[in-house]
Amino acid sequence: MAVALFPMNSEIEIRTPAELLATETVVERTARFERDAMQYTSQLYAAALRYTKNQHNAQDLVQDTYAKAFTSFHQFEPGTNLKAWLYRILTTTFINTYRKDQRRPLISDGEVEDWQLAASASHTSDQGKSAEDEVLENLPDGEVKRALQEIPEEFRLAVFYADVEGYSYKEIADILGIPSGTVMSRLHRGRKLLRTMLMDYAKERGIGGPNGM
Amino acid sequence: MECNEVMHALILFIDNEIQDEIQVQIFQSHFEECLQCLTEMEHERQVLTRMKSLLADECCEQAPEDLQARIAQQTALLASQMFSPTQIITEYRRTETTFNGETHIEIETTHEIRRDFPLS
Repeated sequence: MAVALFPMNSEIEIRTPAELLATETVVERTARFERDAMQYTSQLYAAALRYTKNQHNAQDLVQDTYAKAFTSFHQFEPGTNLKAWLYRILTTTFINTYRKDQRRPLISDGEVEDWQLAASASHTSDQGKSAEDEVLENLPDGEVKRALQEIPEEFRLAVFYADVEGYSYKEIADILGIPSGTVMSRLHRGRKLLRTMLMDYAKERGIGGPNGM
Repeated sequence: MECNEVMHALILFIDNEIQDEIQVQIFQSHFEECLQCLTEMEHERQVLTRMKSLLADECCEQAPEDLQARIAQQTALLASQMFSPTQIITEYRRTETTFNGETHIEIETTHEIRRDFPLS
């Protein structure tokens, strides 16, 4: 009975989650971390493979992410999305560790304008539509993943978070640290690239009928 | 709403990123009137659904067991380091005063506890 724990005739002290966290012991924190954060190792590993494209580096990236997450676990606001918080740490760890030397701007020039050009594309022919449907039904296993790994990183990550993890543009923007408009542009171009690659692959292998597209 | 405007914002419609109900209604009434845009939208939606299911099936690698073990070890190590920064600094101050042949000794002890964790 929680009520009985309050001292009689005194003001009831209400402690905010932040206050509770501030007084949390190391043992309590470790238990909370193991209970809440450790369940996402496989999802973080799958994401890390999209960042590093290499199993060894992906494992290191996940391990470093968990180290950072544990030491800053007091900053995580309970009740908010823990997995998205871990993905955000994964992103910053990746940028700090693997991208140190590459001074690449986060948003390349003209990215949004490019998207607007791509989006103004007109209707696809019916023939093109049915060819695409057929190709997608008959792709060998692993082909979509292979194609995803081959598209440029910024598009790959947007597609991963939207189409594998099902996040909204806003959530992806927070994870990747970019504006929502950029998420939309990258997603749009990433999906287009992926489809083009799969259609080209199918054409080479003769999947989807003799006419291809 | 014109066809090119619908096509331009189709990705937002398909991704359920249009928050405004009235805007969604405008799209829907266009689809009721324009078979070409409706066909396009349905095709895009179908392709996306298929792509999502293929991606979900293929991008679900399991973390190797030894990685999980390394993370658990790392967490334990970090936790133990969180205890170690706790420092207790003890200072003794001895004051000896002699006055009129009488010696007065005063010993003052202070303990300072330095702890880096929990952080607030």
